[in-house]
Amino acid sequence: MIERLLIANRGEIAVRIARACRELGIESIAVYSDADERAAHVAVADRAVRLGPAPAAESYLNIDALLDAARTTNADAVHPGYGFLSENAAFAAACRDANLAFVGPPAGAIARMGSKISARRVAESAGVPVVPGQTPADQSDAGIVAALETVGLPALVKASAGGGGRGMREVRDRAGAESIVQSARREAQAAFGDGTLYVERLIDAPHHVEIQVFADTHGTAVHLFERECSAQRRHQKVIEESPSPQLTPELRQRMTDAAIRAARAVGYVNAGTCEFLVDFSQGAHSETPFYFLEMNTRLQVEHPVTEQVAGVDLVRAQLLVASGEPLPWTEQSLFQRGHAIEARVYAEDPAQGFIPQAGRLLLYREPRHPGVRIDSGFREGDTVGVHYDALLAKVIATAETRDLAIARLVSALRDFPILGIRTNIPFVVRLLETDAFRAGRVHTRFLDTDGAYLAADPDVAPPDFLRDVVDAARNERRPVEGAAPISWDPWQGIRGWNAR
Amino acid sequence: MSDSRVISRIGDGVYRVIVDGRAHLAYVAGSGSDVWLHWNGRVFHHPFDDGRSDQRHARRPAGGHQSLSAPMPATVLKVHVAVGSAVHPADTLLILEAMKMELPIRSTSDGVVKAVHCREGELVQAGAVLVELE
Repeated sequence: MIERLLIANRGEIAVRIARACRELGIESIAVYSDADERAAHVAVADRAVRLGPAPAAESYLNIDALLDAARTTNADAVHPGYGFLSENAAFAAACRDANLAFVGPPAGAIARMGSKISARRVAESAGVPVVPGQTPADQSDAGIVAALETVGLPALVKASAGGGGRGMREVRDRAGAESIVQSARREAQAAFGDGTLYVERLIDAPHHVEIQVFADTHGTAVHLFERECSAQRRHQKVIEESPSPQLTPELRQRMTDAAIRAARAVGYVNAGTCEFLVDFSQGAHSETPFYFLEMNTRLQVEHPVTEQVAGVDLVRAQLLVASGEPLPWTEQSLFQRGHAIEARVYAEDPAQGFIPQAGRLLLYREPRHPGVRIDSGFREGDTVGVHYDALLAKVIATAETRDLAIARLVSALRDFPILGIRTNIPFVVRLLETDAFRAGRVHTRFLDTDGAYLAADPDVAPPDFLRDVVDAARNERRPVEGAAPISWDPWQGIRGWNAR
Repeated sequence: MSDSRVISRIGDGVYRVIVDGRAHLAYVAGSGSDVWLHWNGRVFHHPFDDGRSDQRHARRPAGGHQSLSAPMPATVLKVHVAVGSAVHPADTLLILEAMKMELPIRSTSDGVVKAVHCREGELVQAGAVLVELE
């Protein structure tokens, strides 16, 4: 079994992994950049090692610094989390060469699934349907534009090495295509160190449904059902849930079979996710078409949704499998129970084009509600910087039915005050309350088209009685005229404004 | 109505208000003119700060002069204009990068670039004026 695990990440996922280590009796080692010396993920780990300056390239993406940190702390394993180096085959190989167990798939599987070109080949060879597209041999602007015309517009330009929407652009018209291609290439180069581009036909209004798979080194591969992540803004997921509100049992069976075939075709080990686009334009039935999008060869941001609905601990299973142990489940022992739904809380301002927000969390109070789980990497007083992803927290609600889970999530989000910077919470609440979302009709383009209006903050002034509260806060040391004696009752802070 | 209100401070930045028998919880943080308020899932910046309203609504100065500033600390990735360039609404004047995302800075009006206050590769602070138009 792993004894000392280096967590090559930051934020909420590093906190999540450190907690799993604590339960398993594994010593956890955090790493940090100069911007994160006092961050939550450093505070919860057993030890911490400085990597370098704030820019990710000099810290969380610095393979030499990470291997040095593992060596000096005598770590025997590395968990890459998500993002950063999690899908970097060279990093996985470097860990193996340094005799460190990499908590993830073999470098070869990362490489084959990491490149969109070879991932498509793998899928096709495994009999998994793919969206029409190509990676032009001629990577010049003209070459990419020619490929766009061959595939047919509208189309997507994507970073071949990418994920998370970075380096991805939509091309609807031939005019201006070159500058879109250049922008995609720059962003791909900056985010992944590889500007190779791939083009693909755009399927209008698809649903994003992904299958969680898990394989061990003993030849067992299982799936843990689906997550639907169709609520996306410019290809960044906002809400994820399981089960999908649309999938039929027959379609679920076809998709989970396909995902396991794809995983087996690359000799996959550990946790992975096969992402599919599902075309429900002709309705949900056993023949509904679906297309392999990509395989994420790592733990997903939205993994708690699966944990809640299947009653499992995916990070614990990752650590067991990386230690050479068999999977703790069989396919027959796994089932979906109830409904789980997650909202990603980002430091961004929806009313200003979702510009990322940086600043100090003057007030930050996580709700404590029944059936609500919060995975976060920030505390009150922390500073949200400009160097990394703007994800503050994930709020996951679990209940017997989808309607109850949505109501529970809305209630928790309304009771999650974050002051000092703008967040997307009011936007997410507005989205959760739309008829389209309630009916499960939100597709991956909804927030960029019919649902784009949700970004605007309804220009409503606060009710007038709050004026007295602001004044009271301003003059905190002065007694408030006509106010009841100041009392301190911790339950009030937890139960929310509508407590009776 | 105000005589029916009772406000009590029940924690750090947490206030309970009773209006006509009904309890509301409000959270307040910040100081001076930079006040934030949370109530019922909604967030207000500069609430009741008459004449200042929400900073997001007061962006464009009046008159024929417009300056575009950095919305947040960022790196200047590309500068597409130079002094004397003619620009039109929605033209991308420059591209910033922050949190690994590209942020295009676009013109909101017709004009001519009067000054460019940044260079590619430069780190700019929030509020720094990047380009002036007239």
